[in-house]
Amino acid sequence: MSKFTKELVDDYAEKLLIGLSDEENNLVLSEFDIIDQNMDLINKIPNISEVEPMTHALDDFSFIPREDISKDSPSITELLQNCDCYEDREVKVPKVVGESDGA
Amino acid sequence: MNTNKTIEELHEMLINNKITSEDLVKDAIKKSYELNKKCNAFVTIIDTPEIKEVTEDLLSGIPFGVKDNYSTKGILSTGSSNTLKDYIPFFTATAVVNLEKHGAVAINKTALDEFGMGGTGTTCHTGVVRNPWNLEKMCAGSSAGSAAAVAAGIYPYALGTDTGDSIRKPAAYCGIVGYKPTYGMISRYGIFPFASSLDHAGCLTRSVKDASIVVDAMKGYDLKDQTSWDSSSINLYNSITGEVSNKKLFYIKEIVDLENYPNASLELKEHLNNFHKSLDLLKECGVKIDAISIDKNLLKAIPSVYVCLSCAEATSNLSNLTGISFGPRGNGKSVEEMMKDHRTKGFSPLIKRRFVIGSYILQRENQEKYFVNAQRVRRLIVDKMKELFKNYDALILPVSTGGAPNIDGSKDEVTDNDTSIIEEHLQIGNFGGFPSITIPNGFINNLPVGINITGNCYDDSNILNIAYALESKMPYKNQVAVLKEDE
Repeated sequence: MSKFTKELVDDYAEKLLIGLSDEENNLVLSEFDIIDQNMDLINKIPNISEVEPMTHALDDFSFIPREDISKDSPSITELLQNCDCYEDREVKVPKVVGESDGA
Repeated sequence: MNTNKTIEELHEMLINNKITSEDLVKDAIKKSYELNKKCNAFVTIIDTPEIKEVTEDLLSGIPFGVKDNYSTKGILSTGSSNTLKDYIPFFTATAVVNLEKHGAVAINKTALDEFGMGGTGTTCHTGVVRNPWNLEKMCAGSSAGSAAAVAAGIYPYALGTDTGDSIRKPAAYCGIVGYKPTYGMISRYGIFPFASSLDHAGCLTRSVKDASIVVDAMKGYDLKDQTSWDSSSINLYNSITGEVSNKKLFYIKEIVDLENYPNASLELKEHLNNFHKSLDLLKECGVKIDAISIDKNLLKAIPSVYVCLSCAEATSNLSNLTGISFGPRGNGKSVEEMMKDHRTKGFSPLIKRRFVIGSYILQRENQEKYFVNAQRVRRLIVDKMKELFKNYDALILPVSTGGAPNIDGSKDEVTDNDTSIIEEHLQIGNFGGFPSITIPNGFINNLPVGINITGNCYDDSNILNIAYALESKMPYKNQVAVLKEDE
């Protein structure tokens, strides 16, 4: 029996502020089982815990800090062109602090 | 009229005044509208692109397509997602800027699986992308629109991105060339991120030489992308000679040998048989090819490693899609409700599934088992490849199990069957940042099929040269799909 449940899937979706239909939830469940089975195989690879995790595609990746040169930024007016709701130079959102919280 | 011309041929026509850039661009725009009615290949068709002067540069005055996850200043750039359906960037991706410096003319933005996170071309917010060879078939994804457009002869090339196989599998299904160079050779600045440690930029063309010309123009160190590197000493186009007589390739027995598929379809049998015929062509050129065995458990882990890494990275990369400062504003009384409404309505079911998997994997209690172990297996697979690349110039394998599947019934799910390795092995190229190119190598059931060549990092010239030699022995270079009038 799968250790994954509908409730667990919904909980992880909620953490990402995403709502799932029952059909979407079921598809995640079936994929979880396959991934889990394969990861169990991986866990059986001898000395897997001693392998250095690979985080970049290139082994010789190196980061050299660039010169700190100031450049013009896009204007706020330009940046707000893709915002559905703004006032003057600011993004408009509902009150973050609720009525009952404002002691 | 110029549907099957290479970049070199179009350039000759332009500099000899046999055609003007205006005519070429106008014709490509007209064809884009025609193709879009049948294939849904484009999100945006640019009706009045800036015409560039024709110079000695091979790309000058020639139209091309831009995948819609490349930012283009002042031009809609959606990532094929409803969450960015009206998004107009205020800057252009470096790779596109580089092409425009060469005089190239962008004429449309091509559809993709939402944010590049799919392999079918069916999750674009503008509709399912159809394969111009057969409209009932998929193009694969995510660079589906780019593949369809190049295959239909709209222009000689279009841009793609490749996180798992998103350039190289659509190329196979559409009978064209798909090339992803070494990680970081092309700047990713301005490209919508999917999984940063796996994301590559590249191109889709109808010939290997065209791919070399395009990537030569796209590449270069970019201060704005710290993973880019200086490739100024590499000239891919000039390094193509077709001389491969001293080359050594290998293929993986566990992927290619028919005995691994007890329930092999007739199509898969033909595909593998056709693969061996392509190897024979290379052998005629003096190439030595060995069959190598690799631990099947390691190979079987590839799809799950890919899902773990890509979903985890995507969950983090796309967390800025809230609909608050950009994107369509969701409904709700609080900011959280608005964001949830935006994300629930905006993302396709596939993306939501990927995000939930990523969220699970990144939970502190699960990280070691899933995320870190996936990174460890990635290391084992890449180390194995690098060990083999000490003795071999490249890995050569068939792409997928045959031609493009039907659109109906495609689900893009994680599967666990006999063919999952042959379907997903191109992800090895992303794990190691390896240069990798797919070229067409035949037809099965009237659908094109492809073969892939992958080599060691920074060895792009060698890989292209081998691909060019094989392409020269087959009749599929510059082939164009002809759409039936009644479809």
